[in-house]
Amino acid sequence: MYKLIIITSLMIASSYFSCYPQEKTKITFLGWPDPGGGFEEVISDFEKENPDIDVEMIKGPTSTDTRETMYVTSFLAGEATYDMVFMDIIWVPKFAKQGWLIPLDGWFKEERKEFLPGDIQGSIYQGKIYRVPLQSDAGVLYYRKDLLEKEGFMPPQTWDELIKISQKLQNPPHLWGFVFQGKQYEGLVCNFLEILWSFGGDIFDKKGNLILNSPQGVQALEFMYKLIHTYKITPEGVTTYEEEETRHIFQEGRTIFCRNWPYMWKLTQEENSPVKDKVGIIRIPHKEGKNSFSTLGGWGFGISKFSKNKSACIKFIKYITSYQAQKKLHLKSGIVPTRKALFSDEEILKLNPHYPDLYQILLSAKPRPVHPEYAQISDILKRFIHKVLLGELSPKTALDKAELKIKKVLKE
Amino acid sequence: MPKSFDEQKFGLLLILPSFILLGLVALYPILRNLILSFTENDQFIGIKNFILLFQDERFKSSLFNTLLFCLISVPLQLFLGLVFALILQQRFFTRGFVRTSVFLPWALPTAVMAVAWKWIFNDTYGVFNDILLRLQIIKEPLAWLGKPDLAFFCIILAEVWKCTPFVTVILLAGLQSIPPELYEAISVDGANTLQRFRLITLPLLRPFLLVALVFRTIQALGVFDSIWVLTGGGPGGSTEPISLYVYDTVFRYLKFSYGSTMVIFSFILSLIFVFIFYKFWGDRQIEY
Repeated sequence: MYKLIIITSLMIASSYFSCYPQEKTKITFLGWPDPGGGFEEVISDFEKENPDIDVEMIKGPTSTDTRETMYVTSFLAGEATYDMVFMDIIWVPKFAKQGWLIPLDGWFKEERKEFLPGDIQGSIYQGKIYRVPLQSDAGVLYYRKDLLEKEGFMPPQTWDELIKISQKLQNPPHLWGFVFQGKQYEGLVCNFLEILWSFGGDIFDKKGNLILNSPQGVQALEFMYKLIHTYKITPEGVTTYEEEETRHIFQEGRTIFCRNWPYMWKLTQEENSPVKDKVGIIRIPHKEGKNSFSTLGGWGFGISKFSKNKSACIKFIKYITSYQAQKKLHLKSGIVPTRKALFSDEEILKLNPHYPDLYQILLSAKPRPVHPEYAQISDILKRFIHKVLLGELSPKTALDKAELKIKKVLKE
Repeated sequence: MPKSFDEQKFGLLLILPSFILLGLVALYPILRNLILSFTENDQFIGIKNFILLFQDERFKSSLFNTLLFCLISVPLQLFLGLVFALILQQRFFTRGFVRTSVFLPWALPTAVMAVAWKWIFNDTYGVFNDILLRLQIIKEPLAWLGKPDLAFFCIILAEVWKCTPFVTVILLAGLQSIPPELYEAISVDGANTLQRFRLITLPLLRPFLLVALVFRTIQALGVFDSIWVLTGGGPGGSTEPISLYVYDTVFRYLKFSYGSTMVIFSFILSLIFVFIFYKFWGDRQIEY
């Protein structure tokens, strides 16, 4: 009998103690593996300041698509698996349309002007903001400073200059002129958009009308085809490259120019990199008489509709997107900040002499079409662009067909 | 003698838990899928999705790709698997080591192996081009994953490399189940090696070949991971199988109803294949 009493009281006690930590508000989000440990440090700083909140970062897989699938699955189940949504810029309209995110206009209004304009623009869907940007990302052109300087060339401003320099200096297949991301995947659309914009074209006009199939569109696609088949400054294998393939080629010194994202800078400057101190960074070139644009990428925080602790989420998001936290994330994990002021922070500038250039690029970066059906539009585009690069379709036919399909998607 | 009713009832009772489990994990999703494919936002829409499916060019091309992939890769795997099994059945020095190394590809995760193949097939720093260039079989580096025909060749090569060991294991088990007396008897009758293979090995291996065929066909019809990593369905959509299109439709376009329609279609397709195999290959009983 005594035994029974002891056991029962132990059970009651243990259930009480196991309940005790539950009084802390727990909020979660799904992130990436956190190389450098920046997120972990910022989270522990936050928890020190707010002992009543427990932030759990679930380290997801590196693949963006897989993490998107994980978020979608939990939303479909209608569960608060993740209180906060750490999301890619292109998820915003899709998730917002499904009603899975709550608008943040109530508390995120005045501060917006402190952030890069493109990041803010890409976080807005139908007039409401759903995301606070944390990391910015935009396409840039890397070039081999040493090779250009040796022959007395200035970094190219226009596509014509890039072609001229490449043809003069290249020696394929050992040294190519220009590589970009040409595999049939999202990166190809980013590359295509930059070229399309730099030729003065676009997918939608300001009113939302489809204007893809324009003379500028045809020119842009034709230009991409010619890079490989006419000017021969890009290897045919470009149709299989993602970011890392192009980086390997650039880093091994086998191309003069390479279009990539800012992450590549740090890796090309590591001790064992063959191109260390030989790399320059500039804006994506443009057609004579037009302007340069970069495709905007990047990550930020939104709040799930299903979360039961929304006020704790707001507190945390305010904290992690603050000046100090972003600086820490940059220093620890190399994350490109979204606050304008950080690009003139002395400590950051000392480590990144290229940041003033990058800042100018980010200022002119444009988000991809903010549309709930973007995923489908993008898939149509990448199939037809790829067919043009392979020489299976002429640019005009490809755009005719793509336009027809996109119209069908928009009508649904 | 028929078993007593009680015994039958008791037997049923014993398998009931596994039935419930199967119902939950297999039957329920299939039925739910079926319902989804006939509805849109909880409204019954009849066979509208199926009509759309047959007008959908992307679906038709992915169906064609899946069938082509299946029809080329599965027979190759069966043939090579049979050859390997026959070799590994022989007694020779280091047989254990060779057996293990032949099975290794099957033990590797498909995605990991696909990443390795992607490196091998790269045009600028890939090993494949390097070897062919050194042997002077090709004059210029080829973009293996960048041209429709070559890319198809690559995914089939990767799949055959990966899945042949599975066939080998099954057929090797089959070979070991053939009683050696049969071979002795036919040798006494004066048969040569080819006759032994044709009259004894092949007929007795039939049920094992069928198992391998059914398993490999179903998996080939649902191929996803290796293609996803190697080409992502490219170039120009020329290697996209149905499963990749389903994934895009459900998870990226969030069109669940249309995605379910495709799933139901491929489900029926697999059933037809399996039915054909059993009808034409599985009905004869083997008697020793």
